[in-house]
Amino acid sequence: MQDNSEPKNIERRRFIRNGMQLALAGTLVGVAALSVKKTRASGMVWQIDPFKCVQCGRCATECVRMPSAVKCVHAYNLCGYCDLCGGYLKPDPNARSTAAENQLCPTAAIQRRFIEDPFYEYVIDENLCIGCAKCVAGCTSFGNGSLHLQIRHNLCKNCNECAIARVCPAEAISRIPADKPYQIKGGFRKTPAKDKG
Amino acid sequence: MKFDLKYIGWLIPALAVSLLVWWLLRDPTRQFHESMPGQDNRGNDSMMVKEIVNIGEKFQLFWNTTSDSKASWTNFRGANYDNISANPVQLKNSWTENQPAINWSVELGEGHAGPAVYEGRVYLMDYDEEKREDALRCFSLKDGKELWRRSYRVILKRNHGMSRTVPAVNSDFVVTIGPRCHVMCVKRESGDLLWGIDMVKQYKSEVPLWFTGQCPMIDHNRVILAPGGTAILAAVDCATGKILWETPNPGNLKMSHSSVMPWTFKGKKMYVYSAVGGVVGISAEGADEGKILWQSNAWNHAVVAPAPVCLPDGKVFLSAGYGAGSMMIQVSTSDNGYSVKVLKEYFPKDGMASEQQTPIVWNGLIFGIQPKDAGPLRNQLICVSPEDVTKPLWTSGKEGRFGLGPYLIGDNKMFILSDDGTLTLIKPDGKKYIQLAQKKLFDGSDAWAPMALVDGKLLLRDSKTMYCVTVN
Repeated sequence: MQDNSEPKNIERRRFIRNGMQLALAGTLVGVAALSVKKTRASGMVWQIDPFKCVQCGRCATECVRMPSAVKCVHAYNLCGYCDLCGGYLKPDPNARSTAAENQLCPTAAIQRRFIEDPFYEYVIDENLCIGCAKCVAGCTSFGNGSLHLQIRHNLCKNCNECAIARVCPAEAISRIPADKPYQIKGGFRKTPAKDKG
Repeated sequence: MKFDLKYIGWLIPALAVSLLVWWLLRDPTRQFHESMPGQDNRGNDSMMVKEIVNIGEKFQLFWNTTSDSKASWTNFRGANYDNISANPVQLKNSWTENQPAINWSVELGEGHAGPAVYEGRVYLMDYDEEKREDALRCFSLKDGKELWRRSYRVILKRNHGMSRTVPAVNSDFVVTIGPRCHVMCVKRESGDLLWGIDMVKQYKSEVPLWFTGQCPMIDHNRVILAPGGTAILAAVDCATGKILWETPNPGNLKMSHSSVMPWTFKGKKMYVYSAVGGVVGISAEGADEGKILWQSNAWNHAVVAPAPVCLPDGKVFLSAGYGAGSMMIQVSTSDNGYSVKVLKEYFPKDGMASEQQTPIVWNGLIFGIQPKDAGPLRNQLICVSPEDVTKPLWTSGKEGRFGLGPYLIGDNKMFILSDDGTLTLIKPDGKKYIQLAQKKLFDGSDAWAPMALVDGKLLLRDSKTMYCVTVN
């Protein structure tokens, strides 16, 4: 007569072990799915349409953050790298130099670096930028429009009612999906519907 | 432990004084950095490397053709320097869906150089980006075939395009100015080289930002140049290249992107040039030919592209870009000679201004497109009276915005090309904006070059392609 008790014990253990493994795998998959879901936020955030912005300067004064969560960003692929930069230099500057009296930016937040004749690179120091849009107005009027404003989401409190959007004369600020939180020129293009006005 | 209160009485004032001293000595601006010149590490001008340029060294003959056409657009702003075609060909008042048709197109190097036309041949100063050559290209107006090319090697770096001047042509000669101030004169039909002048070497000219924009003038077989540097104006014999006269430049005026304009005021013929640093009127005839008649340094801006608009009553309208705005001056004569008075000076938002193109005078009124920094009127076509250029008689309105592109008049119709290749036809009028037709001709960018209108054919271009469009 054979003893069948040993095989029964092994099957029970295997059953429990397999069950534990399955539960663990399920938990891992669940956590991974939750993580993926979390990285794909379905919320909305405030952002500026650079093609609607009229550089009125209110982003600097109306934001609840001080200094403003609106910063100038630079689309380098649009920049002409000009020596006479309408976004960096005041109109009719005394000289094309880095002297304070020639700079348009009130906080010297734009650094100008010589690359090679006749090209210069312009880099924004966001810690100094107050979002006044003076450089954006200059670049838009006299250059390629590579300097433009964006709401920085590491600074923005995403208020239910954005204080700047309330007063923006061009209605350039609106909620956009949080998974695409920026509208950077170059990649983001003006749509034909937005052409007029 | 016993604590004496009197020490506290001493300690508190001492602490307060220490704090006061600390506060007074502390520099609240210690983290500030001064913005001084030179922090961009501006380098030496490597564009001035002593490159040997043999002006007009190469020639290629591609094709030969004849033409019955007798009409011409001989230079920047046409034969009368007013951007109004005198050609009697009637042009259409409206366009159907397929009009205006593009006859032909030609690929060009990136730039904003416009064409000149003489009896069926189109002359264009191009830059060949592969060969790194300035190239005067001659095309057939009929079909756009390239007939010949006269070129020379000159190294340019892409800087908002390269070529940007219109040749000057007459029955015998074609004269060009290249991006780096190289002047070339060739025989009109054959393209044979006659002579060349490097204005940087000859006159110590300073190549303007974004390269030369000055278009040459041929006046009675003399080329009129504005080198700046050691001579503010110079006249060169077309046939020989001999310098006939030079106007000294004691005021150190510099070459701008503007072009020399002819003007006859109170019977005296003169050349007017809006330079960087001032505006001058220089005698064009008689014993004092080449002498400065009048000058004003009140007009002084870094980037000047529009040509001076000279009016019959002695007014000269000046405009410049980059926020400079405009100025109206009054030139007068007396027993002591000429005098200049500034009548008005203002920013773009306060009156007619122009960034690149030269406004047109038509029936005593001035037509022009406002720059982007002109406030609510930005990019609109406006019409003003010379008596008060700050009060528009009409504007094209919010829906009628254009760009930095060119405009001209022919057969009492005005053609406006927008940056993106949209052509608009309007009827010039002193009372209101009348739009007749509009069509997007091509998907273009930076269509800024001056146009030419010949025999019902409008020649225009964007940064890379030239088109011939039928408008009759």
